[in-house]
Amino acid sequence: MLGYIAQRLLIMIPTLLAISIIVFVIIQAPPGDYLSSYVAELQSQGESVDPQKIAFLRAQYGLDRPLFEQYFVWLTGMLQGDFGYSFEYNLPVTKVVGDRLWLTFIVSFTTILFVWVVSFPIGVYSATHQYSIGDYGLTFLGFIGLATPNFLLALVLLYVANSWFGVSVGGLMAEEYLDQPWSLAKVLSVFAHLWIPVIVIGAAGTAGMIRRLRANLLDELQKQYVVTGRAKGLPAGRLLIKYPLRMALNPFVSDIGNLLPHVVSGATITSIVLSLPTTGPMLLQALRSQDMYLAGSFLMFLATLTVFGVLLSDLLLALLDPRIRLHGGTTR
Amino acid sequence: MRRAIISSLALASLLLIGAAAAHAFDMQETPSLRARVAQGKLPRVAERAPEHPLIVDLAADGKRIGRPGGTLRILMAADKDTRLMVAYGYARLVVFNEKLQLVPDILESFDVEGDRVFTFHLREGMRWSDGEPLTSEDFRYYWEDVANNKQLSPYGLTRALLVEGEPPRVEYPDLYTVRYSWTKPNPHFLPLLAGATPLEIFMPGHYLKQFHAQYADADKLQKLAKAAKQRNWAALHAFKGHSYRNSNPELPSLEPWVLTTPPPAERLVFVRNPFYYRFDAQGHQLPYIDTVTMDIVDSKLIPLKTETGEADLQARYLRFDDYTFLRRGEKQHDYAVRLWRSGTGSQVALYPNLNVKDPVWRKLVRDVRFRRALSLAVNRHEINKVVYFGLGLEGNDTVLPESPLFKEEYKKRWATFDLKAANALLDEMGLTKRDDRNTRLLPDGRAMEIVVETSGSSTEQTDVLQLIRDTWAELGVRLFIKPSQLEIFRMRIFAGETVMAISSGLDDGIPVAEISPAELAPTEEDQLQWPKWGDYYETHGKTGEAVDLPEASELLALNKEWETAASHEERTRIWQRMLEINADQQFTIGIVAAVPQPVVVSNHLENVAEKGIYCWDPGAHFGIYKPDTFWFDNAPAETAAVKAAAP
Amino acid sequence: MSADIEDRLEAPHLAHYVSTAPFDPYAIEAMAPGQERYYMAGQWRLMWWKLRRHRLAVVSGALLLFFYLSITMSEILAPYNLHTRNTDFLYAPPQAVHLFDQGRFIGPFVYGLDTGLDMETLRWVYTANPAKIEPIRFFCQGDAYNFWSLFEAHFHLVCPADGGTLFLFGTDRLGRDMLSRIIYGARVSLTIGLIGISISFLLGMTLGGLAGYYGGWIDSLIQRLIEVIRSFPELPLWMALSAILPVTWSPVLIYFGITLILGLIDWTGLGRAVRSKLLALREEDFCMAAILMGAKPSRVIARHLLPSFMSHLIASATLSIPNMILGETALSFLGLGLRPPITSWGVLLNEAQNINAVAVYPWIMLPVVPVVLVVLAFNFLGDGLRDAADPYH
Repeated sequence: MLGYIAQRLLIMIPTLLAISIIVFVIIQAPPGDYLSSYVAELQSQGESVDPQKIAFLRAQYGLDRPLFEQYFVWLTGMLQGDFGYSFEYNLPVTKVVGDRLWLTFIVSFTTILFVWVVSFPIGVYSATHQYSIGDYGLTFLGFIGLATPNFLLALVLLYVANSWFGVSVGGLMAEEYLDQPWSLAKVLSVFAHLWIPVIVIGAAGTAGMIRRLRANLLDELQKQYVVTGRAKGLPAGRLLIKYPLRMALNPFVSDIGNLLPHVVSGATITSIVLSLPTTGPMLLQALRSQDMYLAGSFLMFLATLTVFGVLLSDLLLALLDPRIRLHGGTTR
Repeated sequence: MRRAIISSLALASLLLIGAAAAHAFDMQETPSLRARVAQGKLPRVAERAPEHPLIVDLAADGKRIGRPGGTLRILMAADKDTRLMVAYGYARLVVFNEKLQLVPDILESFDVEGDRVFTFHLREGMRWSDGEPLTSEDFRYYWEDVANNKQLSPYGLTRALLVEGEPPRVEYPDLYTVRYSWTKPNPHFLPLLAGATPLEIFMPGHYLKQFHAQYADADKLQKLAKAAKQRNWAALHAFKGHSYRNSNPELPSLEPWVLTTPPPAERLVFVRNPFYYRFDAQGHQLPYIDTVTMDIVDSKLIPLKTETGEADLQARYLRFDDYTFLRRGEKQHDYAVRLWRSGTGSQVALYPNLNVKDPVWRKLVRDVRFRRALSLAVNRHEINKVVYFGLGLEGNDTVLPESPLFKEEYKKRWATFDLKAANALLDEMGLTKRDDRNTRLLPDGRAMEIVVETSGSSTEQTDVLQLIRDTWAELGVRLFIKPSQLEIFRMRIFAGETVMAISSGLDDGIPVAEISPAELAPTEEDQLQWPKWGDYYETHGKTGEAVDLPEASELLALNKEWETAASHEERTRIWQRMLEINADQQFTIGIVAAVPQPVVVSNHLENVAEKGIYCWDPGAHFGIYKPDTFWFDNAPAETAAVKAAAP
Repeated sequence: MSADIEDRLEAPHLAHYVSTAPFDPYAIEAMAPGQERYYMAGQWRLMWWKLRRHRLAVVSGALLLFFYLSITMSEILAPYNLHTRNTDFLYAPPQAVHLFDQGRFIGPFVYGLDTGLDMETLRWVYTANPAKIEPIRFFCQGDAYNFWSLFEAHFHLVCPADGGTLFLFGTDRLGRDMLSRIIYGARVSLTIGLIGISISFLLGMTLGGLAGYYGGWIDSLIQRLIEVIRSFPELPLWMALSAILPVTWSPVLIYFGITLILGLIDWTGLGRAVRSKLLALREEDFCMAAILMGAKPSRVIARHLLPSFMSHLIASATLSIPNMILGETALSFLGLGLRPPITSWGVLLNEAQNINAVAVYPWIMLPVVPVVLVVLAFNFLGDGLRDAADPYH
C-alpha cells in the first residue's frame, strides 16, 4: 500500500509539470499580454493611455522578457510558495483568491448537499420502480435541470426571486450587509440568496447523479446475492439498504476526485450571471484580461487538487471495497 | 508620521485663524463631521478650507442650494472602475464648465502667455485629503523626483509634456505659484489638465517620499517593496501613487470623495474629503453627499439591479435598449429614467481602412467616390428607426449640433440615402462588371465582398450592419460581418488586414475651437481609418507609413497650423476646414449620432441635469455636471457617515 | 416470452396416455417458435426489444428523428427566409392561431397586427385586429430562398396570408421571425453535437482501446493524458482552444473548429469507459475461448470484444450529445463560440441572455424550448439504449 502511494506520488511530478506547461501555454495563447488588453479596453472607451507609463509597467511586470524566462520565474516562484502577482488587482495572487475562496466553499458544499439530498431518494426510487410513472416523472424532473442552459435558468430565477420574493439581485447577501461585520442577520441574508445559485448549479448535477445511482442500483439489484437475500426472506427495505445500495455508492466515492476542483472553482457561468463573489468569475476575468499569474496559479491550484483528489478517491475505494485491487488491470 | 501631521496641522491652523474670519460668508460645519471636530480629531471647517475656497455658483447652473448628508449608491462592473470616481469627482487644476470653457478649479487662477508660458496660482491653505497643504512642492516633487527620475520614468517624459520633443521649463517662484514654459506654443496643455483622464503634473510628495529611494532608507524601502510583492521601489512608488487608478486608500487626494476600502471588495466605499475646496454660497462645504458606495456586480446584471432601485445615479453599463425595461421600475423604486445624449460624433461608424494591405482594395478604398457611394447607400433613416426608435441624429461622423462648430452640411453631405447616385458613382469608377448574383466585381475579377469587422460585445453593431447589408446589396456590394475580440480586432486593423471596421465615431462630439482637432487628422494609431499614418505621426516616422493622400496631408497640416494659431477665429476656421474635409471625403462613414443614453436618477437626488450630454472627454461623464453639488432631499439633517440610505 | 415458456411447461400432463408418435429424445430441447426467436435473436434485435419497453426512449427517438428530418428541409418548414426582416414588426409578440371567428369556422388563421409606438416607454405596441383575418396558407409560395445553396425556390409548408404576417413565436429586435430562426438554427446546433461526438468517439475509441488492450506503459501514458485534460475546468480549455482558432477563418470553419474543440475535450470520459470495459471483457470466458482457439488479437478485438461493448458505447455517445449542444450554447454565452450573423440555438439564446428579454420580450427566450426538448430526448434515448445494451438482464 505504502509503496503504491509512493509510486503514485512520483508519477504526479511529471503530470503536474506537464500541466504547468499547458497552463502557461493556455494563458499565452491569445495574442498580446495583460497590458495590451488593458490598453485596448481603455482606448475603446475613449480613455487616453500614456505609452511611457505602459512601457514602464511592462518592464516592471516582466512582460518584456522571453516566454520561457517568464515561465521559469513563475514555476520557481510557485515551488517557493509565491504564486505571483495579479496585475488586474495590484495584489499578490493569494490575497485576491483568499477572500473569494471560502464563499466558493459555502456555495459548493451547499450545492453538493442539495444534489445528494435530492438525487439520492429519487435515484433509489427510480431503480426500485423501474419504468413506473414515478420513475419517468422524477427522472424527467431531474433532467429538466440538466437540459436547461444554466445561464438562462439563472437569469430567470434571479428575476423571479426579485419580483416575487423581493430578494435583491445577484451576489450572496443583501447589499446593506456588504460592508458590515458578520451577524445573524447577515447569515440569514446569505441563506436567502444562496438558494438560487444552489438550485441552478445543483440542477445540472442532480440529473447526472440520479442517472448514475439508478443505473448502478439496477445493476446490483439483478445480482445473485440480492436474489438470495430475497429468497431468504429479508425485508425489502433492509435488503436494499444493507447490500446493493452500499455497492451502488462506490462510484460516488470515486467521484470525490472530480468533486474537489469543482468545489473550489464553482460553477463559473452561473456565478457570472448571478454575480457571485466566487472564484469562477475571477478566473474567467483573469483569463480574459490575461492576468497571467492570477489565472495561471489558480489553474495550477485546481489541477493539483484534481490530481490529489483522484489519488484520494482511489485510496478510499480500496478501503471501502477490498475487491478492488490498487493495480487494476495495468499489470497484465 | 501621524504626530507629524497633527502638529503641522496645528501650526497651519494658527496661521489660518485670522484668514478664516475674512471669508465673505459663514462656513457651516458639515453635520456628519461635527462629532469628529468636537473630539478634536478634525480641525474646524474654516481651518480646513483654503483661504479662498471655490464658491460654486449653483444658481448659474440652474441648481439649488442643498442639504448635506446621505449615501449615493452606484454600480460598477470591476474593481478597477474605481478610476471612474476620479472622473465623477472631476477635481482638476482647471476644468471645463458646462459651456466647455476652461476655468480654474483647484487653481485659484492661471495666466497664459501666448500658449507658451503657463503660470498657475494655487489656493493658499488648500489641503490634501489627509490635511497636508498642497503647495508648489508637490509640483516640484512630480517634476524633479518622478518625471525626471531615471528609475521612475525610464522611458522619459510623457509625450503630452513635450512640444516637438522639447520639455517645459518648470519654476516655483513661491509656495503657491508654479510656472511651465515652452519656447513653442502648447495649446494642448490646459485641455489635457482638464481631461477626464487628467495629465498628471503634481503628486502628494509628503506621502510618496516614504516610497522614494532619494528620501527613504534603502533597506526599509526594500522591505516595503517586498511586503507588497513589488519588484523594486520604483514599482512600489508607481503602485502607491497611481492616483487615476484610485486603488490606494492611503493616497492623499483632492477629489470630493476619497476611497476608504482597499480593493478587491464587493462594495467600495468613498467618504467625503473633509479638506475639500469647493463650497456653496451658503457656506456648506461640498460635497453635499457624505458617502458614495460602489457595488461591484457583473455588467450584465447592472440594468436589473438598477431597475430594482439599487442605484441612485447610474448611466454606465446601461444601454439604450434597456430603457423600456428601466421604465418599469420607476414607480415602485422611486427613480426616474432620463435620456441624455451620447456625446460621440457617431454612435456607430464604418471605418474604411485606407492602409489596408490588399493593393486592389487599397486603391478602391482610397477613391473618394467609392467611400461616398457606400455612404450614400446607407439608409440611415431606417437604421435610426429600427435600432434607435428614430431618436438618434442621422448623418456623418462629425460634431454634434451642441458644438459651436456645428454646421448642418457636415452632418448631411453625402449622407442622404440615394441608391441611384451611389450606383452612378460606382459605375463612373468603372466597376460595372457584375457576377451572376449581381455583385459587382473588383478590377481583378474578385467579387466585391467587404468583410466588416466588429468587436462589439452587444448586438448593436451587428444589427446595424445587417441593415446596411441589405441596401448595399442593391449597390452590388456584398457585406459580410466578422465579429472578433477587441484585441484581435485592433491588431488586424493596425496590421492592415482589415478592409473595413465598425466602431463608435469621434470620441469628442462637442468640441470647441480651443480643443485640439487632432482626432480629425491622422495623428494616432488608434484611428481605425488610417492606423499606419497615425502610427507614423505618433512615432515621428519610426514605424507606420507616411501619409500619401493629399486630403489627409492637408488635415495634418491644418492640425499643425492649429497648434500655432493665435486667435479664436483662426482656430475656428481651421476646425471648420477640417470638418469640411472629413465630411466631403467620408474618411469615416457615420451612421447615427446623439443616441439617447439612459441615466437613472433617484427621485430624491437633486441638482442632476434633466438633459445632458454623456461624454467622456470633455465631460468626464457626470464630472462636468459636478456631482459634488448633488444632494438628497430626504437626507436626514444628521446622518451617520457610513449608513446605507435605503429610501 | 416468459409466457411461452410457462405454456410449454404446463401442457403435456395427462396421465397414462401413450403417444403413438415416434419418440424424439431431443423434443425437450426443441424450442417453440417464439422461444426460438428469442434465443436465436441477434444482439441488436434484443436491444430493440428491450428498448421498446422504455416508452419514453421510443418517444424521444421519434422526436429526434423528426428534428433531424427537419434540418434537411429547414427552408421549406420555416415560414420566412432566415434573413427576412419585417421592420414594421419589431419585437412583435407571438400570434395565436385561431380556427373560428365569432363562431364562424374559417380554418387556421391569425388576426392581423396593428402597430403602435409607445414613445413614453419606447416600446412597440401591437394589438390583434379582429377585422383583419389572415388565413394561414399551406403548401404555398412565399419568401425566396436558396435550398441548400443549390437552387432558388419559393415553396413553403406554411406561409402568412398575402400581405399578412405569421409570427407564431413572435419576432426579434430586427423583426425577424423567431420560429424561422429556430428552425434554421437547428441545422448548426444539431449537427454540432454529431460532428463533435464523432471526433470524441474516434479519439476515445482509439486511445481508450489502446490503453485497455495493451495495458502497461501505453495505458499509464494515456491515463496520465486523461488526468491532465480532466484536471482543468472546461472553461480555460475552451478559451485557450478558441484563441488558437485562426482569426482569418470563415464562419463555417470556425464552426468546425468549435466542434473540434468540444470533441477534443469530451473524449476523456469515453476513453475511460472503453478502457475499463475492455479490461473487463478481456477476462470474460468467451474471449478466453476465442484466444484458446487460436484467434489473433485483431480478430478477438474486431469480432468478439468490439461488438460486445459497441452497444454501451452508442448509449454513452447518445448521452454525450446533449453536452455538446449545451456546450455550444455556453460557448456562445461566453462570446467564444458562434456569433451572429450565424444562427444557432446558442446564438439565439445568447441574444435572450439579457434582462430585457426576460422581463419585456419573453418570447425571445423561446429557443430554450427546442434545446430542452432535444437534450431531454437524447438523454432518455441514451438511458433507454443503455438499459437495453445489456440484453440478458
